[in-house]
Amino acid sequence: MLVAVVGLTVTASVSFAGAKAGVVKVAIMTDCKGAFSFGYDYDSGGAQAAFAQYAHGKVKNKNKPSAGMTGITAGGKQIKIVGYGCGNDTVPLAVTETKRLMEKLNADVMVGPLSGDEAVYVANYAKAHPNKTFIIGTAGSQDPTLQIAPKNVFRYHGDGAMWNAGAGEIAYKKLKWRKAAIIMDDYSFGWTSAAGFIADFCAIGGEITKRVFPPLNTTDYAPFVRQLPPPNQVDGYFWVVGGSGTAPSLKAFEQAYGKLDPKKLYGNLFFAFLGADKVVAPKVAGAYVGGFGTAPGLKTKAANAYRAIMKKYYPKLPPDDGFVYNYYNAAWALVQALNKDGGAIGSKLQAAMPRSIKPAFQVSNGGVLHLDSNRQGIQDQYPLQLVKGANGAVAANVVGFVPDVDQSFHGLFKRSSPPPGRTQPKCVKAKLPWQGKIKVVKNGVITKQTIK
Amino acid sequence: MLPGERRAILGPNGAGKTTLFNVIAGDLAPSAGRVELFGEDVTTLPSRARARLGLARTYQQSRLLLGLTVENSIYLSILGVRKGHLRPVVLPRRDEELRERARAAAGRVAISHKLDEVVGSLSHGEHRQVALAMALASEPKILMLDEPASGLSRGERTLLTDLLLALDREITLILIEHDMDVALRVAERVTMMHEGRVIVEGTPSEIRADKLVHELYLGTAFGDE
Amino acid sequence: MNPLRWAPKQRLERCIALGALVLVAVWPALGLNAYWSHQIFLQTFLFGIAAASLIFLSAYGGMVSLAQTALFGIAGVIIGNLATKGGAGGTSKGLHLGWDPTVAVVVAVVMTTAIGLIFGLVAARSAGIYFLMITLTFSVIATYTLGQVTKISGFSGIGGISSYTPGWLGDVLAHPDRLYYLALGVAVAVYVLIRYIVRTPFGLSLQGVRDEPVRMSSLGYNVALHRTLAFGFAAFVASLGGILYVWWSGQIAPGNVDLPGTINLLVMAVIGGLVRIEGAWLGAFVFIVIQNYVRDFAVPGLSFGGTLFGGSFNTIVGIIFLVIVLASPAGLMGAWDRAVAELSRRRGPPRTADEPAPGPGS
Repeated sequence: MLVAVVGLTVTASVSFAGAKAGVVKVAIMTDCKGAFSFGYDYDSGGAQAAFAQYAHGKVKNKNKPSAGMTGITAGGKQIKIVGYGCGNDTVPLAVTETKRLMEKLNADVMVGPLSGDEAVYVANYAKAHPNKTFIIGTAGSQDPTLQIAPKNVFRYHGDGAMWNAGAGEIAYKKLKWRKAAIIMDDYSFGWTSAAGFIADFCAIGGEITKRVFPPLNTTDYAPFVRQLPPPNQVDGYFWVVGGSGTAPSLKAFEQAYGKLDPKKLYGNLFFAFLGADKVVAPKVAGAYVGGFGTAPGLKTKAANAYRAIMKKYYPKLPPDDGFVYNYYNAAWALVQALNKDGGAIGSKLQAAMPRSIKPAFQVSNGGVLHLDSNRQGIQDQYPLQLVKGANGAVAANVVGFVPDVDQSFHGLFKRSSPPPGRTQPKCVKAKLPWQGKIKVVKNGVITKQTIK
Repeated sequence: MLPGERRAILGPNGAGKTTLFNVIAGDLAPSAGRVELFGEDVTTLPSRARARLGLARTYQQSRLLLGLTVENSIYLSILGVRKGHLRPVVLPRRDEELRERARAAAGRVAISHKLDEVVGSLSHGEHRQVALAMALASEPKILMLDEPASGLSRGERTLLTDLLLALDREITLILIEHDMDVALRVAERVTMMHEGRVIVEGTPSEIRADKLVHELYLGTAFGDE
Repeated sequence: MNPLRWAPKQRLERCIALGALVLVAVWPALGLNAYWSHQIFLQTFLFGIAAASLIFLSAYGGMVSLAQTALFGIAGVIIGNLATKGGAGGTSKGLHLGWDPTVAVVVAVVMTTAIGLIFGLVAARSAGIYFLMITLTFSVIATYTLGQVTKISGFSGIGGISSYTPGWLGDVLAHPDRLYYLALGVAVAVYVLIRYIVRTPFGLSLQGVRDEPVRMSSLGYNVALHRTLAFGFAAFVASLGGILYVWWSGQIAPGNVDLPGTINLLVMAVIGGLVRIEGAWLGAFVFIVIQNYVRDFAVPGLSFGGTLFGGSFNTIVGIIFLVIVLASPAGLMGAWDRAVAELSRRRGPPRTADEPAPGPGS
């Protein structure tokens, strides 16, 4: 038995020895299990549409992006997608998947991962593998580009805090909130997402009177909802409960304090996922929602052109979805870099990675998104609102435009500052660059009018 | 019972003989009454503490350490009443001394040729030998044997009887046995039990003569054989 | 009894073991495929250590424990909290106390062993399915504690741990071979230690407890104490695997010790065979190879709901597991023992006394 096994190891090692020269190996790291398993096709589809559009890639199956792509070339070199990482939104699997993609399949570049915790691991991994290049797919954590920030990690979209930029100002101005409480999933994405609310709301003069932390995947939210001050003591609640907990937590709130009032609730992007819930979603229709760095329904030339590209290659994918969009931009940036330096990899590729790109939903600076010195994008954000459509379904519409949101919230978050947590950030008044500049978006058009 | 006494306990199945053993050994707690060993009340002592006072027993179903070798089994029996159960190192001199005793005990029950064999692979008769060797090896003051002859061949029974007769006179021996030949040859006094009670007590010859015993037990027992 | 009878099998096993050992020892030095050394073999070493703790309890104590993954993870979490540093460039989660990593290792081993002793104290009086359930409870408690006590871990766990290795080990990120040889050395040491322990009075009486706890009690042994200490020893072994794991993967999170993680370790142990310590590394090796290679082949009809590789991976592991367990309940080591016994039976009746026979609990 053991002899056979030893024999197997030798054969296997030999068969993996020959690496082809002149090929840039790209891995697409995403999830295929867990809450984000849809990402497997959304993410690979987004990235591959960019390869198809800008690097001659041929789609194998229009309805199934993960079936792969052939014929990708850029900078005179062949680009080979060596594998798709199959994570489940947790770190342990990200470890084995990352090592499999980067060391077994010997990828030179990773496009991904999908989630915040995975990205923290990948950034740490990147630090130890300076010759490989990592372009984050869709991850909401700050750490990869703020705390860890290795030179070979790039992110062309916002983090979880940035996605909520403008939310505090909207609550303060449109909903007249002064005192708010916040309920947040007790883990890094919950804290980071809440941090965006807190920073934005406190900057304009609001006050957070209570922070409540239900553990992730709580089944009974009643005890946590009861910790929130009753509706007569605060003007509203920021709601950062996701996964399978969004609807149950709102139901628990309804049982504790009566009818849900959309004017007193402000959700992060998880509210936008409520649409499918036939019971709770209609009750919170009208509530404002934090963004995801995308602008569903935005009517600009660039946005329409992007949608046409997605439709051409993968007609079944929703182009305005953040998972599709972010992976598309990541792959597009990679193609630009490879074209610039003849398909070089390693530190040359990292040097060639564009410091500014023109993504479809970027409007500021003539549509140019810049990276900051940590290779983190400075991105326009789009606050949303839940609205009941003609058919009764609840959808999230873009209602605001927040120009050029940077990761630091004007210095509040820095490398040396404590990372978002249960008690971080503190509630401080500040002048954020986008304060007073949030534009009203109506029917997909950014108006000249600022939010008042 | 007096020190050094040889007592057999007889009675039909379900008479409570093994239960009595279990209560004395501490495997079962009595519902009423007390257990005394060597003049001490041991009712609340666990079985392992009674073993350390010098009580050794065998079981009707051998309850042997089937995964260990004969030598290791007997070795554990000797180690059980000594210090060093938890010693995580081999001390060659001390362990060799204990093993020497184990081998000697194996010799007494004529199982020396199987020292390195796993107990689980031995025959029923050999199991009885190992059980006896384990009980003897711990050098008990009281030895309780639960049907040591059951399942043995005639020759093996003779060997067993001789062995029991040759035991150190200081050892108190209590024997549960269906085999009258063995029981009545070895025992000096016999207790007859029925349905949890002692019904007759006496010397072997008194028992042989007792009518009630014949009626209740000997008749059926012999009838069975 | 007759050394000439069992010598060939032992000699053969030793040759194979030595060959495998030499192969893995020279693998990195020969510059052979690094993925195999740094991923497959390294994981085999460290998960094998954890599996060995499980097999030790099962083969010699008759206790199938589902708590070993939890203990493995607990050691990792302790290291993560003690050794990492906060602030700029540091990891941002956990207590990040910034202790000397060597001290952290000692504390992690001692604390994990202590926790194992406490677990053992609770579980020692039960057996069979009840023991299994109690240890499963430990594993669930560990998962939820890590997930919900955000000060020490939280759902996201602690990352960047591999930057905080002891000075005598050096930078394992830049020199993964160091970790490779350390893990190999620890694995060999654990194997030798277990083989030694089972020949000592403690180990022999533990095997007695496995076979007949009631008998052992009437022989004078404190059965519960023995089981508790065995559990503590197994926790010690598992902690070594856990420490190596966090240096290898750089992170530890509740996802490492949750139910799938617990079952994975059990599957490794069962594939290897719950009767012989060698099975720990064999089982870990087979499992990790399957995990790394089977997934690259999509099996038609086995991919569900778009999770192409994920779906067929779990199904294939499940099928392989079933086949092994049905064909040989004692795993691959058991199959090997049987095959050799069968071969020699045709030449003459042997009986090996060298290896522990499966106890009632295994």
